[in-house]
Amino acid sequence: MSLLDVKNLKIYYFTLKGVVRAVDDVSFNVREGEVLGIAGESGSGKSTLGYGLMRLVPPPGRIVGGNIVVSGRDIVSMDEGTLRREIRWKVISMIFQGALNALNPVYTIGKQLVEPIIFHEDVSLKEAYERAAEMVKLVGLNEDVLRRYPHELSGGMKQRVMIAMALILRPKIVIADEPTTALDVVIQAQIMNLFKKIKKELNQSIIFITHDLSLIAEIADNVAVMYAGKIVEYGNSDNVFNTPKHPYTQGLLKSIPRLKSKEKLSWIPGTPPDLRNPPVGCRFHPRCPYVMDVCRREEPPIKDVGGNHLVACWLY
Amino acid sequence: MIAVLYGVLILTGVIIGVTGLSDIVLYNIVDERLRIIKQQLAIKIKDPEQLNRAVEELKQELIRAYDLDKPWYARIPRIIYQIMVLDLGTSRSTLSFSGSNKVADIILERIPNTVLMVTTAVLISSLVGLVVGLWSATKVGSLLDRFTSLISAISYSLPTWWFGMVVILVFAYELRLFPSGGMTTPGLTITDPITRFLDLLWHLFLPVLTLFVALVGSWIYVTRSIVISITKEDFIVVGRAKGLPERVIRNRYLLRNSAPPILTNMILGLAGSITGAILTEAIFNWPGMGSLYYNAILSADINMILALTYIYTLVYVVARFILEVLYVVLDPRVRY
Amino acid sequence: MKKLLRNELLRIFLSSSISKIGIIFLAIMIIASAYVVMFMPLDFGLRYWNNPTFWADYPKLVPPEWVNIFLGNKLLRHTILITEKPTLSLEDTKQYILTYSHDTDQLPQTIVFKLNNITFTYTPIIELSVRRPDGRVINLLVIQPLTSGVSERVDLSGRLEVAVALSRFLKDEFNVSISATEVIQRKLEFKILMGTPVISNGYVDFKTLRGNYMFNVFLKSDDPTARIGSVEVVIFGWCYGLMGTDHLGRDLSQALLYGFPVALLIGVVTSVITAVVGALAGVVSGYYGGIVDEVIQRLCDVLNNIPLLPLLIFFMFVIRMNEELRRTVSPLAVIIIVLVVFSWAGIAIIVRSMVLSIKSQQFIEASVAVGASSIRIMFKHILPQVAPFIFAQMMFLTPSAILSEAALSLLGLSDPSIPTWGQILESAFANQAMYLGLWWWIVPPGLLIMYSAITFVFIAQGLEPIVEPRLRKV
Repeated sequence: MSLLDVKNLKIYYFTLKGVVRAVDDVSFNVREGEVLGIAGESGSGKSTLGYGLMRLVPPPGRIVGGNIVVSGRDIVSMDEGTLRREIRWKVISMIFQGALNALNPVYTIGKQLVEPIIFHEDVSLKEAYERAAEMVKLVGLNEDVLRRYPHELSGGMKQRVMIAMALILRPKIVIADEPTTALDVVIQAQIMNLFKKIKKELNQSIIFITHDLSLIAEIADNVAVMYAGKIVEYGNSDNVFNTPKHPYTQGLLKSIPRLKSKEKLSWIPGTPPDLRNPPVGCRFHPRCPYVMDVCRREEPPIKDVGGNHLVACWLY
Repeated sequence: MIAVLYGVLILTGVIIGVTGLSDIVLYNIVDERLRIIKQQLAIKIKDPEQLNRAVEELKQELIRAYDLDKPWYARIPRIIYQIMVLDLGTSRSTLSFSGSNKVADIILERIPNTVLMVTTAVLISSLVGLVVGLWSATKVGSLLDRFTSLISAISYSLPTWWFGMVVILVFAYELRLFPSGGMTTPGLTITDPITRFLDLLWHLFLPVLTLFVALVGSWIYVTRSIVISITKEDFIVVGRAKGLPERVIRNRYLLRNSAPPILTNMILGLAGSITGAILTEAIFNWPGMGSLYYNAILSADINMILALTYIYTLVYVVARFILEVLYVVLDPRVRY
Repeated sequence: MKKLLRNELLRIFLSSSISKIGIIFLAIMIIASAYVVMFMPLDFGLRYWNNPTFWADYPKLVPPEWVNIFLGNKLLRHTILITEKPTLSLEDTKQYILTYSHDTDQLPQTIVFKLNNITFTYTPIIELSVRRPDGRVINLLVIQPLTSGVSERVDLSGRLEVAVALSRFLKDEFNVSISATEVIQRKLEFKILMGTPVISNGYVDFKTLRGNYMFNVFLKSDDPTARIGSVEVVIFGWCYGLMGTDHLGRDLSQALLYGFPVALLIGVVTSVITAVVGALAGVVSGYYGGIVDEVIQRLCDVLNNIPLLPLLIFFMFVIRMNEELRRTVSPLAVIIIVLVVFSWAGIAIIVRSMVLSIKSQQFIEASVAVGASSIRIMFKHILPQVAPFIFAQMMFLTPSAILSEAALSLLGLSDPSIPTWGQILESAFANQAMYLGLWWWIVPPGLLIMYSAITFVFIAQGLEPIVEPRLRKV
């Protein structure tokens, strides 16, 4: 049985200039210990999806349909108080995109790590601090960061603190939204190693959201590729990376530099569509090299092309 | 901060020197001294010619002593020293309540009155401003919110002292509810402290109302925009994601982080309150430093104006210094 | 592309109602200023405003005429009757008749006969009289001008001959005796002149007589060349014009109108110079760094830590004390200079920090790499980016300059030769207008100061979403 089951999730932003369909009819699931990679360009709705899984979509955004079922409980219809007390951070926690501003600047790291323990569990302050110290060591930091303030730490250290904080209540699922984007390459590699360690040692389920397919390739068991608010390809990592089916996925993979490959680097021409007013038919058709008449008229349904490899494209 | 104070002092010294004001001040002091000495000498020396010669000698001596024979720039250190210790001689136009005509005495007596009025107004307006600002920040775009920005625009454009005149016209002239000025009812003989205190409050009401209206708008506006900008910070979302109760998010995340920038604004707002108070005091004839300033200008009392300009700058610099210390306590990012 | 961006910003600016109001207010200010510049003399202050004789024929301390709408026509209007030609011309008498219709119970403050430019060869006799609506005639006064070419101004109140005439009239016509001195002391002149006595309980009271009054001036002389240039009768009312008058009888509406271009000038000139100086200092400081930066920033610290008003007071006072400076420098110019000196630092500090972040943008580094000159980079790349911010700051500086000038005016430290709204308030304050309830002297000038200040605050608030993109509506 899967841990997280997302069905037909729709998240729209109701702006003055029109409705932005940031996440439109998205379904996927995550099993115990699985790392799901969600890939897409900026503006594809992948971050909104992340916030949506915690029901933290900023206004004017709203979840307008679908279900998010975690351990058998649907959080879309859950009341705010229960959600806050029983789900957030305890069952699903999140590592945020802008790690640099994600920590409260006026409190010590220790205080911020302990905060969720105190509010969610009936634990003494001393015990809470001990657990925080353990967690800090697990993410490779020295115990004395607990006494430091966020501005005293480097970007990499802050991201480690964020990871420790996300793991502190041992949640079932951690959502990592672009966890390495703001960091330089060396630190990025270290953080990726930390994620691999967490996956292995804690058997942690992670939803890894990034625009960088190569990071997903390193860590994910399954991959979902998002384009303009929809999942266009979804399947086992090996299948998706070795035999990408959707022209968009193919394009993305071609734009990643590889050391040994002789293939020429290329990119996808054009820009992602305006989600207030997406193209009729397949949303990728204006940029697609294999565009057919049907693509301009009708939206392709998502189809299994064998081995739980799902693709939404008229080519198949 | 200390450097700023020195900078101000040197600037003042140079201005006073260049414009020849220091000459006037110093000659005043010399003449004052000579007058006294002459009276004393007149008892000993009877021959008027001899007396005049002695006085003239003394005068030259004093001129040398005060460096009046040297160009103005040589006197800057002395000017600065004199201003610092408020050794600015005597006032031509005013006496202190206890009858002294020394500038320092007059000013020292009036500082508490000004402080009473300004701090009362600043405290009330900052409190109201914070509450209303926070409240409207949680309702961005609502009617209330738009109303607040209109109020703040009006408050910013309002000439405080003019509002004081209107307040007198309405409350003192038309409705006859409050006294039009002063600090106590003249001829009030009751010594009962409660009656005296109520009388003081009654007199305090209109000037404080005036300052309050002038100050509160910017408080609301600034609090609102600071809180709104902090609401958009990532760590607020993180706090929500952590499943913390809204109360905790508001207190520990929103308010606690708003405090340092609000304090910065308080520092900047001080200038407004101090200068606003000068004219408000003049309008309400409040016996503080502001009305002293006004009267000194009317009677061209140079010594007094010099001293008050310095005192106002000093009060301002000291207040800023206190607030800056507070800032360091509140915001760990500026600790070293 | 650039044009597109500019249109987009303009659209954002105009989308908020507050900036629309700001623009409309500004347009009104500009129109009023243009009107003044075109139709009012530029030396209005010296030639008219500060010249009390010019205002002699205006009623003093009276409210505007439109208060009658609320008071039901209770207040008597100020009326000036004038004629240049005699109505009747006999061989030895020229008669000037001025008809005045009185239709309220209120009596005038006073009535003044003005006989302008009396020319003659032999001294004529001039008689002044009134024919009342009830047909009774009062001979008020006889005057004999001494030299040809003079003008006579006869104020009927407080003049003994007139009082004697009125006292006699009362006795002859109504058999009521009030002595001439009593008439003057109790200010009964116009009660007698324009009323009928009513006796109740032994007290004499007067009932105002409504209808047409004829003011007659007889010029009696054998000399056919004798003439009066013009005859005027001024009935001093209890309300005047659009905005009322002050203690000198000055028509406040004129000075209020004249205040528009002055406020606009002070505000705009100050803010433009401040913005230019601040922006230049900030850009130079941020772009060059090093010792230049250090010096500018320390200077900014000092300037930013000084309360403005005490220093302004001090400077203005110094100017006033120094004879030479007072003659050569206009106080208005000093206000502007001092405001600039103490305001540019705020802009410079923020512009510097903006420049620092812009400087690290890639295309600037690229421009440096391809060898673009510093000046070119500053003007082509840096200034356009900080420009909207500087403009918004300018909009905030404008009201503060207007308010500062008004504050200094109150202290009597502004330029007396140029009337401003602040100076109207200063004379109101000095003459204790608020203790006398003279609201029309206090309220309008302050409202106009507020109006001009809020115009720019509105524009600045409208600019906010452009300067702070975070506040933009999605």
